[in-house]
Amino acid sequence: MVKISVLQHNPALHVPIRPGDPTPVQRNLNPSMHPFAKARERTRALNAAKLDKIFSKPFVDSLEGHIDAVEVLTKPLESLTTVASGSWDGGLILHNLHTRSEMLKLPQAHKGKISGLCFADPKGSRLLSCGVDRNVRLWKVGTGDGEDDSGASSQEPLHVYPWKTSFNSIDHHRSDPLFATASSTVQIWDETKSAPVSNLTFPTSNETVSSVRFNLAEPSVLASVGSDRTFTLYDIRTGKAERRVVMQFRSNALAWSPTLPTMALLASEDHNLYTFDVRHMAAPVQIYKGHVAAVMSCEWAPTGVEFVSGGWDRTVRIWSSREAGGKEKGPGGREVVYHTKRMQRVTSTIYSSDARYVLSGSDDGNVRIWKAKASDKLGVITARERASMEYRESLVKRWSVDKDVGRVLRTRHLPKSVYKAGQLKHTMLEARRVKDERRRKHTRAGEQKPVAEKKKTIITEQS
Amino acid sequence: MDALIARADTIRPLSELKVVKTRDSGKGKAKANSKGKSKDTSTSNSDYTLQSISSHANVPKSLAPLDPSSSKSKNDEVPKYNHIANKKLRSQLVHQHALNSNLSKNALETQQNLLSLAADDAGSIQVTGPLEKTWRISQDEIVASVGGEAVKGRRELTFGPGQGAKRMKWSQNGRHLVFISGKGGTKVSSVDWMGGNVNCEVDLLAGSNLAGAGGNGGGGEAARDVTFLQDQSFFAVAQKRNVFVYDRDGVEVHRLNNIIDPLRLDFLPWHWLLVAVTNSGHLSYTDTTTGTQIAVHRTKLGACNTLTQNRHNAVVHLGHQNGCVTLWTPNLPKPAVQILSHMGPVTSISVNPSDGGSAGSVNMPGRYMATAGRDGKIKIWDCRNWKGVVREWAVRGAGDVELEWSQKGYLGVLSGGSVNVYHPPHIVTPYTGSSSSSAPPLYLSHPIPHKPLQCLRFEPFSDVLAVGHNKGLSSILVPGVGEPQFDSLEADPFENAKARREREVKGLLDKIQPDLITLDPSMVGKFDSAALSASGSSLVATAAQSLLDKSDKVKWGANVQVKNVGVDVPFSRMKRVERLAVQGKLDTTGAGDDSEDSDVEMKEGGDGDSDDEGGLTREEMSKKRKMRGKNKSLKRYLRKQRKNVVDPQVLAVRAKVDRMREEAKAKKLQMKTGGAGEETKRKSALDRFKAGSGK
Repeated sequence: MVKISVLQHNPALHVPIRPGDPTPVQRNLNPSMHPFAKARERTRALNAAKLDKIFSKPFVDSLEGHIDAVEVLTKPLESLTTVASGSWDGGLILHNLHTRSEMLKLPQAHKGKISGLCFADPKGSRLLSCGVDRNVRLWKVGTGDGEDDSGASSQEPLHVYPWKTSFNSIDHHRSDPLFATASSTVQIWDETKSAPVSNLTFPTSNETVSSVRFNLAEPSVLASVGSDRTFTLYDIRTGKAERRVVMQFRSNALAWSPTLPTMALLASEDHNLYTFDVRHMAAPVQIYKGHVAAVMSCEWAPTGVEFVSGGWDRTVRIWSSREAGGKEKGPGGREVVYHTKRMQRVTSTIYSSDARYVLSGSDDGNVRIWKAKASDKLGVITARERASMEYRESLVKRWSVDKDVGRVLRTRHLPKSVYKAGQLKHTMLEARRVKDERRRKHTRAGEQKPVAEKKKTIITEQS
Repeated sequence: MDALIARADTIRPLSELKVVKTRDSGKGKAKANSKGKSKDTSTSNSDYTLQSISSHANVPKSLAPLDPSSSKSKNDEVPKYNHIANKKLRSQLVHQHALNSNLSKNALETQQNLLSLAADDAGSIQVTGPLEKTWRISQDEIVASVGGEAVKGRRELTFGPGQGAKRMKWSQNGRHLVFISGKGGTKVSSVDWMGGNVNCEVDLLAGSNLAGAGGNGGGGEAARDVTFLQDQSFFAVAQKRNVFVYDRDGVEVHRLNNIIDPLRLDFLPWHWLLVAVTNSGHLSYTDTTTGTQIAVHRTKLGACNTLTQNRHNAVVHLGHQNGCVTLWTPNLPKPAVQILSHMGPVTSISVNPSDGGSAGSVNMPGRYMATAGRDGKIKIWDCRNWKGVVREWAVRGAGDVELEWSQKGYLGVLSGGSVNVYHPPHIVTPYTGSSSSSAPPLYLSHPIPHKPLQCLRFEPFSDVLAVGHNKGLSSILVPGVGEPQFDSLEADPFENAKARREREVKGLLDKIQPDLITLDPSMVGKFDSAALSASGSSLVATAAQSLLDKSDKVKWGANVQVKNVGVDVPFSRMKRVERLAVQGKLDTTGAGDDSEDSDVEMKEGGDGDSDDEGGLTREEMSKKRKMRGKNKSLKRYLRKQRKNVVDPQVLAVRAKVDRMREEAKAKKLQMKTGGAGEETKRKSALDRFKAGSGK
């Protein structure tokens, strides 16, 4: 006997059981059921890339209060909201990022420019400042979280450490009550003593030191950069300078990586940023090119993957560090550039402790808050929204090599001045390269070999 | 003959043969006439014609081995990537490979689970012996034996003589049906087939159904074709004057003024394009999201009565009065393919939407096309190559033959007074018997007494075949023709209003640009080597070419040599690939096969800063250096050794020497002949009028 069966769907299986229930979903993964799957995914990726551009509104807020250019920004290690800023008029303001209010304002913390700021403890209850008025001052500040807030912030410093020369930078030891200052020398101070404990300057150095930073993992090691174009390493246990490299240009700022203890980042006057592995100082690990003027400041993200830099070209740039395991390249293969019409020369930049925001202090006296990821959505995000965002992200990543998707990703708007400066710079560098090449062509074969770019930047290494 | 040529081409280095063999044994093949397991045939003498089509013919990744354990050796074996020096990259590749194989394994499992679920639902006819024939089973028997909900699929709608359904179309999900009926085709109805409701009936005879809207193109005119747009909420009707779009309730919402006198319509769902072909032979593409006409092609082949789409590459197939079938994309002003298929007008075309092809293999979906002509023939074509038909047979009975493939690859044919349905594997299997035109075995046959039979459409995701005939519309049950497992995210017969809206918005967001329509849909996301070599900044015409081409075994062309010699790219400006090639460090092994290739030169890495001198490779440099300061005999020996090396420079120099020699010879000849030669050469304008100088 013939057995006959005819396909019949059970409607009860395909409608929700109760009114509120979600509709049951039936899948068939057979590729023939999904024609144009790849083409549709590409369209989706293109849309995702465009959405990313549409939503990229990085500017969050501007913190006003200073009447002159902001010179320095700092944050305590264990606070998400507290940020201190010092300006050229000697004003010191403690900002609360959450409420965007001033927790403490000292209009005359120093006479003249405040050149360095750092918190003396991870919680952020004491603040060290140094200035061109040849003083280091220790302030007591309220953390604002209520607990262990024995006495609110005071207008008077807890302690003043006077010295003979003006200071350029200050940094506190991770655990001990020690701090280092940079003037024409690098000095180590004890908080309880009014004179420096030791002087670590490199024997032959007699120029200004512009920045000094303690290593985050090995806190007795510190590094400095100065106007003698050096990058110098010190050890406070031996009490002397260990090693230094002389570069082609001076560096303006210095930052140690929070995750790779041997990695240091230098913001150089020659428009570039350099990462150094302090074990091999003969050449930088990586050169980050992009700024079209001197880089004035740099700071790692707490994740250690990205870093931010601010430059004389009025831009803030966020970079992804490849050697720290970042993305192969940023969106479109380049760094992210933030700029606004009213932002002037950027003198200081820091990351917030949750790595979601970037702060920049600039010549126009404002502290600006930016999103670290331009298209980030602020506020509560539902699970569905999060999932779709992640899907979009992975789509863009997967299709970034596609011509159209890549074009959307690559396109970025730059201020005309920056764009033109970039063009000019490119022309000049190209001309220099061509000239070098021609020169090499007309010399005896093999006499002049091209020097690797990384090796070019270092003049000598001394120890 | 082709096989012979292909076989002649197989003389190649042993190493390559090895690679080919391993590739063969792993993947399933689409050898049309091999009924046995593919592994048996591939091991000993494999047919190399398969290589050219392997990208189309191999099994989709998610379906490849139906049993994961069978191909365990292939899947679990992570390639070592030993040829990659960079440790980071190597580990990343290994990791990626492991991830991918894991993923495909999971997808496979899921798919198998889904299939096993669906297998219970699928319809079928199981005969117990060879004497029982499925085509003997009548509809009454089927209805009697199935019962239940499925019986509702068998319906007979009678409208009256001459008022039967002329053309019809199912919606994507198979729930709704729109058809033209009435006297002269003046009535268009949209019905919810599964629910048994009528959505709307538009009477074109009655003039405008909305006063003053000029509705229905002036009234009293026949509809020629009808199609749903993205879903049941809109349908387009080809009327005498223009194409009109009606909404679900039968209200005319659009009139497409720039399509005049349309004959056939279709809708490309993923591209949101309404395709219409007109009486004047114009094919027009209208973007239904914006309402703009994106392309109009003049077919130059007269009125066209047959239009169908390949659902897997959105190529439109037109059948013409002169027996031609043309394939169109919106991007080409000429047909992508044109074949003379019939001795007489083409009456019907259909493209196989399923991937189940011949026995024992899984095919690219949309591989086969069936055409029917007024010459009474049905032909099956292979859309990958158009060299002759796969199978053809004659049908009996008067009237135009209509045909359509079902989702599972069954072919329904409307001829004379009956509907015939044929099995999938036999339709596309080349017939090797004595007579070349023998019909494949019949699966099911159903006579309908109301001639002429006008159209047939298989309902998606169901075992129902709707047939429009002179008196009405009848639907019959054909077990096994429908896809039992639908995908809710693509088309769901049971979706509610909210899901429909959601899907519509998603579909709009995922709309594919019409420029992406090509014959090969897998083009998207592939490396476009042709475009790269066309642009000037490609790998071609640089110093690295010699090695790159050597590895590719590209024959030296004259223009390439000249270009190559003239270009002098400094080492520091070369791309990484080119630098490696110049240094002789280029890794020419493929990413996938890490087998030892004999012809690949892997040089040990020395110092990386070798400055090139006029595109000389490393080994050439070293040879040159070796010659320095050697005595005469050794020099000669070395030169002879070097002579056999063919590189662009040598070729260019040789060409130059030859040219100079030729010139010298010509000069000599001229000197010898003196003035006479000079005179014969010089020609005046009047020479052309001389006798014998015409050529």
